[in-house]
Amino acid sequence: MHRVVVTGLGPVSGIGIGVNEFTAGLRSGRSAAAPITSFDASGFPHHWAGEVPAFRPEALLRRLRVADWGRSALFAAAAARLAAMDAGLSLPATDPARVGAVVGTTSGESTVVEQLTAELVAGGYPTMSAEALRQAPAERLSYAVSAELGLAGESVTLTTACSASNYAIGYAYDLLCWGEADVMVAGGADSVCRWAHAGFYRLGALTEHACRPFDRDRSGILTGEGGAALVLETLEHARDRGARIYAEVLGYGVNCDAHHMVAPNEESVAACMRLAQENAGVKPEDIDYISTHGTGTPANDLCEARAIRAVFGDRVPPVSSIKSMLGHTMGAASGFGAIATTLGIRHGFLPPTINWATPDPQLSWIDPVPNTARPATVRVAQNNGLAFGGNNAITIFGAIR
Amino acid sequence: MTGLVTGWGVLSAAGESVSELLAAVRAGAVVGVDVRDRFDEPLPTAQAPAIADFDVRRLLGRKGTSFLDRATALAMVACGRALADGGLTPDDDNRHRIGVVLGTTTGSLKSTMDFSRETLVQDKPYLVNPVLFPNTVMNCASGQAAIRYGLRGVNATVAGGPLAFLYALRYALNALRRGYVDALLVGGVEEYTPNTAWAAELTGAGPAGEAAAVYLLRRPTPGLTEAPRAQVLSVATGFQPEPSVDGLAGCVRRALATAKVRPADVWAIASGDLDADSLSEVVPVAAQRWSVRPALGDCQSVTGALALGVLLGRYAEDPDARGRPALIVGRSRDGAVAAAVVRG
Repeated sequence: MHRVVVTGLGPVSGIGIGVNEFTAGLRSGRSAAAPITSFDASGFPHHWAGEVPAFRPEALLRRLRVADWGRSALFAAAAARLAAMDAGLSLPATDPARVGAVVGTTSGESTVVEQLTAELVAGGYPTMSAEALRQAPAERLSYAVSAELGLAGESVTLTTACSASNYAIGYAYDLLCWGEADVMVAGGADSVCRWAHAGFYRLGALTEHACRPFDRDRSGILTGEGGAALVLETLEHARDRGARIYAEVLGYGVNCDAHHMVAPNEESVAACMRLAQENAGVKPEDIDYISTHGTGTPANDLCEARAIRAVFGDRVPPVSSIKSMLGHTMGAASGFGAIATTLGIRHGFLPPTINWATPDPQLSWIDPVPNTARPATVRVAQNNGLAFGGNNAITIFGAIR
Repeated sequence: MTGLVTGWGVLSAAGESVSELLAAVRAGAVVGVDVRDRFDEPLPTAQAPAIADFDVRRLLGRKGTSFLDRATALAMVACGRALADGGLTPDDDNRHRIGVVLGTTTGSLKSTMDFSRETLVQDKPYLVNPVLFPNTVMNCASGQAAIRYGLRGVNATVAGGPLAFLYALRYALNALRRGYVDALLVGGVEEYTPNTAWAAELTGAGPAGEAAAVYLLRRPTPGLTEAPRAQVLSVATGFQPEPSVDGLAGCVRRALATAKVRPADVWAIASGDLDADSLSEVVPVAAQRWSVRPALGDCQSVTGALALGVLLGRYAEDPDARGRPALIVGRSRDGAVAAAVVRG
């Protein structure tokens, strides 16, 4: 069994593009929330989101032709390119077949599908664009990463909704542990789109301007977008090439609520935490910080906080939700959580939960690291991802020993 | 990294068994079903290789089924049949050790586009039906199957279009090998809708097909008493977009090496489209080539699962085939390749 480490980070987010900007954004509690610009949101009562207006794929990508790919694939590929540069990977790799990509997503090429819908409404099915139809399949997210970086190894897109990045990191971790690859680029991507905005609004899960997880007056998510990528490699491979090591991937767990498509399940979320901790060989008391799923809906945060208490008892570590800054970036969310966790371990700080004002008496055991990043020694940290379909996935990272 | 196929649930235009599937693929002619009355919208063709007479309420009951899209319902039925065929009854002792891994292309394109359309045609863009929102996420089928059968183990959806089943199979083998689960329902589903029909027509991939094929894959353990229908020995994948590189042949060689199978011993190859001499640089020209697409249309993420169904049909009908290794292979338009080695 190989040990697996994180050697490169590639965030393309509303609080920063590239690891330096993103780290500064986390430390200063920056917010991506702003009026929506990627579609006409004027008909919506709530029309803010966490978009990435500064995203210029052509400025980041070296090999892909931007016109050939949908927005989510471009987020994935740009994040991967940044992560590969941050890792100092020399590409093409000596043995490209030993380097692969796993990308998680909720809605795949949602803006491409929306374009098809607009064509359909305007002129009927036969007027749908063949090029958009070719761009729509979700598998193209990982193919964009592989094509951009010239990777010949496994290239897979996992569509397990809002925990998909953790699925991707977990699967990549397994492939590396088992010696099936030397390096894997893992993460997730999604794009803000009209239909998801409408869906969350109608579920009553969309807040107006500010996402405030764990606050008594939290009122929902902001939809968000972006691409998150981590370069994972075996410890030997990283040491052989003299790579800087951010942190170690200690393990992960996935399970399924098998209960409800939308509502989270406390018992099952707690079980997933235990699976992840067992897989990582750590105990609750070893964990110094939890990057929560923390959507900011009343139901999620209550369920997640109760599951945390069930597992951690009266020793609950500080937790935070970076969704307060980024919005809910869907399939990229736990990828950003993994990046934030990794940075916290490396640089010794806890990312804050911004917009936090009022303690929730129902969550008395939760310290949400309110509003300001906190210096801390983080030896082991847990990164929660929950999702529609009851697809829970939790990753655990540790300082390199 | 191996898994035992101990049960199947296969629904296609050819029928609801692997023997009917095999017969249709052997005949080679497209299985045409009259689809003219299915939708209000026009379709590119009057006939298509779609599943006939699929009655959700008869098969799954009225409760909780009225908002299911067709892809989800098909997957749920196929999962149930694979469990029953494999003799595995989920209960409180084992349900956390049983999971679902399904392949997909875009989830239900119809569910997503219908939902998206409401944001354009309603008086207000938010006047969508929230009950239908979960149908727009691509893990809907695997999530609903888990709810219906109470399966709390690893639950994943793997996108890959024509390669999705092979990716799902590889993902499943990993989960079994790592000991995360003891059994997985592994398969794919694609529904026939105006959206898929026109998508296939407009991209030259037509005709669109419709199928759900799910297999019960068990971890090889000493206590397992059910006789397997086949063993999945290995899956290899890769990404080789350069036209000059024959990525699939290399991928097949890797899969065979991992499975410790000599190329000369390969008895059959199954895929979406194969020529008589496909992969002849690796495996014998005499090996049987089975193509599911001429009979069943473009079934995208089910293609590989139907290919496995054909092989299971052959193993069942031909005693001489028993114990002989076969390949399931695929290649995507973008240059991804995958190959699985199975033995019946």
